[in-house]
Amino acid sequence: MKAKRRVVTSATGERPGLAKRRPTVRRIKPAIAPVVRRAPDIRGAVSSNSAASATSTRISAAPQKPVATAPDVDVDLSVDLGRGLVLANPILVASGTFGYGTEYADVVEVQRLGAICCKGTTLRPRIGNPTPRVTETPGGMLNSIGLQNPGVDAVIAKYAETWAGWQVPVIVNVAGESVADYVEVVRRLEGVPGIAGIELNISCPNVGKGGLQFAIDADAAAGVTAAVRRATDLPLLVKLSPNVADVRPIARAIADAGADALTAINTLSGIAVSPSRLRPLLGNTYGGLSGPAIKPVALRIVYEVSQVVDIPVVAIGGVTELADVLDYLAVGAAAVQVGTAIFADPTLPVRLVDELAAECRRRGLTSFAPLIGTALPKRAAAPSSKGVEYRP
Amino acid sequence: MRLAGAELLDSREILPDQWLQTYHAPELVAGARAGQFVHVRTGDYSGLVLRRPFSFNTIDTLAGTLTIHFRTVGRGTEWFTRLRPGDRVDMLGPLGRPFEVDPRTQHVLLVAGGLGIAGVRSLADEAIRDGRQVTLLFGGASARDVYPSSLLPDEVEYVVATDDGSVGHHGFVTELIPAYEAWADQAFACGPLGMLRVLSSLAASRGRRLGVAKLGRKRGAGRPVPAGSPLARRKAFLQVSMEQNMGCAVGACLGCVVLSTAGAPQRVCREGPVFASEELDWEGGW
Repeated sequence: MKAKRRVVTSATGERPGLAKRRPTVRRIKPAIAPVVRRAPDIRGAVSSNSAASATSTRISAAPQKPVATAPDVDVDLSVDLGRGLVLANPILVASGTFGYGTEYADVVEVQRLGAICCKGTTLRPRIGNPTPRVTETPGGMLNSIGLQNPGVDAVIAKYAETWAGWQVPVIVNVAGESVADYVEVVRRLEGVPGIAGIELNISCPNVGKGGLQFAIDADAAAGVTAAVRRATDLPLLVKLSPNVADVRPIARAIADAGADALTAINTLSGIAVSPSRLRPLLGNTYGGLSGPAIKPVALRIVYEVSQVVDIPVVAIGGVTELADVLDYLAVGAAAVQVGTAIFADPTLPVRLVDELAAECRRRGLTSFAPLIGTALPKRAAAPSSKGVEYRP
Repeated sequence: MRLAGAELLDSREILPDQWLQTYHAPELVAGARAGQFVHVRTGDYSGLVLRRPFSFNTIDTLAGTLTIHFRTVGRGTEWFTRLRPGDRVDMLGPLGRPFEVDPRTQHVLLVAGGLGIAGVRSLADEAIRDGRQVTLLFGGASARDVYPSSLLPDEVEYVVATDDGSVGHHGFVTELIPAYEAWADQAFACGPLGMLRVLSSLAASRGRRLGVAKLGRKRGAGRPVPAGSPLARRKAFLQVSMEQNMGCAVGACLGCVVLSTAGAPQRVCREGPVFASEELDWEGGW
């Protein structure tokens, strides 16, 4: 309970643009679409806001002067992912690339991140896949860790207390082989101090349905989301898989089933061949492709999904610099996760926070909300051939 | 663990496709020990997204320099060969756990297979500094792959085996072990998995074959040694430096694991790269 209260407390800050969202209501006014179409109005509203008026006058006095890397005192980077999960900034670290937040603590100012998505956690301990588990590919990498983790109870015992003392919210990434698995993991996480939210990894084979992934079937994805939703009051993010023909009906089904936000995207399925050309390189044959190589795919999916759901979309895929963050915001993302790039540059996520604040200042903005959705279609798009209706 | 810039001082090709580079990185060298490694960022924008791990080949604390030794096997390592003195790279280190030499050990046996020399080379310096006798057994494919003796300290006894017999013993380096295992108090190895597997089985049967008492019988006899602890390595006759494809090198991504005898995955970057050989599952696991 302590963790949740801490998160909600930080929600009292000004959140122009996204402020209309009521955290505890499942389906509410669009968090993103209005910002797109009325960006100038929002900006006007922000500058007339009493809290921000001093700031905005200062900015209008010297609009072009870039502020270097000072902490974000006058730019509000906070973002509401729903159900009281308000992040201090929209830069998250992606599940599987940052361990449990403690591994990089020597070299990274962990507390300055928007949130940490921890390593995928399952009900029982998992030993993971045979090695090799990772390999570099052009512009990216393949991984097939196989969800190695000590199990939810061990994760809680080992890390929850540390997390509870942290300012940065920790979102536990949950994986399972059946709906019951997911529900049980989430039930054990419910109410544990230090756990700020859940991110469902639904790109796991559903053992009950012949190994078909939850993420590739709208009904299965909605089913597991609804079951987890019933089991917890924690903020719930659901991570979409790109390995589908059309992600929009799946995203809609998940949103309708009660997810608070969507994460897009998980890795793309791929393989590499060993140098001897006698076998696939990875011990598990298949791996997940991540890194800059998948950014165009992720951009496309965020672009599509953010137009058909009313809940925030957290973008992930190949972020290596501020331009990538701005691209994702432009196609409708409310926040961005950094993953593979951390391996090369562990300090990147924290630097992106500073750079995003500086960029807002440079543009004379007191919040990054006006940057969201600027590249989305300006008018209500015609219904797609799949029959997805547009909802203003 | 620190993140620091390192300046390239010297870069040369010591063997065909094998390079030795000297970097000035005082922050990383301070406190670094033999067996540990650095994770170096490629500064390229041509699609290299991962850092490259390199063992400390030599460590000079006074000068604040370290050397790395690598073979060009792909675009990442080729990128490093194009660096020129004065160029700076971003290094993360020192990472991993070092070799642990028992204080009573007098005779140190190092076994290197090919580029595995990079993993044990700095232990030769450390052991000689501490007044121990060092023998290095080196195995390579042919004479052109043999590590130059001029790059080793004079005090090291250097024995070479080549697969084609072009220099030294004709055969595998593991065939030299029987001549040295009685002399050695402890052995330290790095190289191909097959070599390490043979060494590990030789080490396991060494006590029985030679009828030697195990080190540490007096001190701490009967007390259990925590698995993976420095003490466990110090008490082991054979310590091995393992290699795996690596992602983060800090224990976050779980990409670089080997299995312990208890069936638990051990991260090469965090619990390793140096392991007591009896703590690892050499039969393949999974």
